[in-house]
Amino acid sequence: MNDSLFIEIGTHQCQKDGEDCFGDTVFSKKIPEEQRIISILSDGLGSGVKANILSSMTTRMAMKFVESNMELLRSSEIMMDALPICQVRKISYATFSIVDSELGGKTRIIEMDNPPHMFIRDFKPLTVKCREISSPKWKDRTISVSQLTTQPEDRIIMVSDGVTQAGLGNKKYPLGWGRQGCMDFILKEIRKNPYISAHDLARAVVHEALDKEVEHKAGDDISCVVLYFRKPRKLLVLTGPPFDEDKDHEFAELVANYDGKTVICGGTTANIVERELCLKCEIDKTSFDDKIPMASTMEGVDLVTEGILTLTEVYRMLKEGIDKNKNNAAVRLAKMLLDSDKIDFVVGTKINIAHQDPNLPMELEIRRNIVKKIFRLLQSQYLKEISVRYI
Amino acid sequence: MDKVTVKICSGTSCFVMGAAQIQALEFTPPADIADKIEIVEVRCMNLCKDIKTKYNKGPFVMVNDELIEEATFEKVVTKIREIIKAQEG
Repeated sequence: MNDSLFIEIGTHQCQKDGEDCFGDTVFSKKIPEEQRIISILSDGLGSGVKANILSSMTTRMAMKFVESNMELLRSSEIMMDALPICQVRKISYATFSIVDSELGGKTRIIEMDNPPHMFIRDFKPLTVKCREISSPKWKDRTISVSQLTTQPEDRIIMVSDGVTQAGLGNKKYPLGWGRQGCMDFILKEIRKNPYISAHDLARAVVHEALDKEVEHKAGDDISCVVLYFRKPRKLLVLTGPPFDEDKDHEFAELVANYDGKTVICGGTTANIVERELCLKCEIDKTSFDDKIPMASTMEGVDLVTEGILTLTEVYRMLKEGIDKNKNNAAVRLAKMLLDSDKIDFVVGTKINIAHQDPNLPMELEIRRNIVKKIFRLLQSQYLKEISVRYI
Repeated sequence: MDKVTVKICSGTSCFVMGAAQIQALEFTPPADIADKIEIVEVRCMNLCKDIKTKYNKGPFVMVNDELIEEATFEKVVTKIREIIKAQEG
């Protein structure tokens, strides 16, 4: 992929208070062979299961159409025709916002009835000219299409109306937080931390919206998607001793020569790097946790952790969410993975014979398997660029 | 009097076999030995790999230069008290 640009997509959602599932759906997909990323946010009519079905159908259909470059108006008509009709309101309806972006910079934004996207460059909001089209069949629904060329450090933010209408009816926000209120908040956050990740920004927006609501209860589904265009942040993860001891030095040198952040996962792995590069490695007691062995510090290495238990916990958190109140080695590693765009795993395949004792817990996985699970998840769910090398 | 050095292995297999509980010595040690010990956290000491017996004898803890196999919090504390008593005696 183009080394000059990377798109980080961060999403955060909160369902309407009292509902069991999200009425908004977010679906993003990377098409590596076209160097293209498509991200869709849809808000289904109403809330709960019904809205979830409407918005899920909309995102899936829209993804297929956009991906295969189908004509826009025709695609939208098919989508509107296909949605089931609500028994109460007698209409079929789900809004959508689509960002279709090529890594070269060419980006198209297609929107119908969601709050308009926000485009931020150099700490300022930019208004992008849009073209409006409507179908003769569905005259009251206008689709707007904007085109722009993105640069590093640009951000595109899509929100559902749960964000802009947060606090509606509340004394302080009788008309809701509003798009402007939300925009001001985002600009403030970016000024505070110019490199804020897409994930953190999306989470901050949703939390701020919830703060506006009466008793912090979401009056509607609240969703925020942030696309952050930037130069890729690289991370090297070294885990496991090489199968052939003769490769130990070559293996350790990878850390010394890497042009990005580095992590070592595994006690023996750390011992090898420590020995081969003559570095000193010390336990970092601030990472104490009774479930995860402590992290260590080593000069020139950003993080040193234990291997299998930490990786297993990282995998769990990548699936279920990061424990915010902890600062153990696994939380640190998971955050580093999420903050990176290109991650290079180098996996030593030597089997640790001490782990094969049947008295040890079943959870002690073989390294290759747990690393495989982690990188697949990072690729499919977090759209990271991953390379894996076994040594 | 020199402090008693306690090295707790925090390698993967020792950790899952109970070293995590022994680490409590560092944060909540019994009052009588609290200021007489020094805890040194170490990464894998490789003792699990050169075991003579068939099965893993972890968690491994070194109290001064004595190795405790299949260590528990109680076993380690008893050993520390023995050493302190010998030193004081």
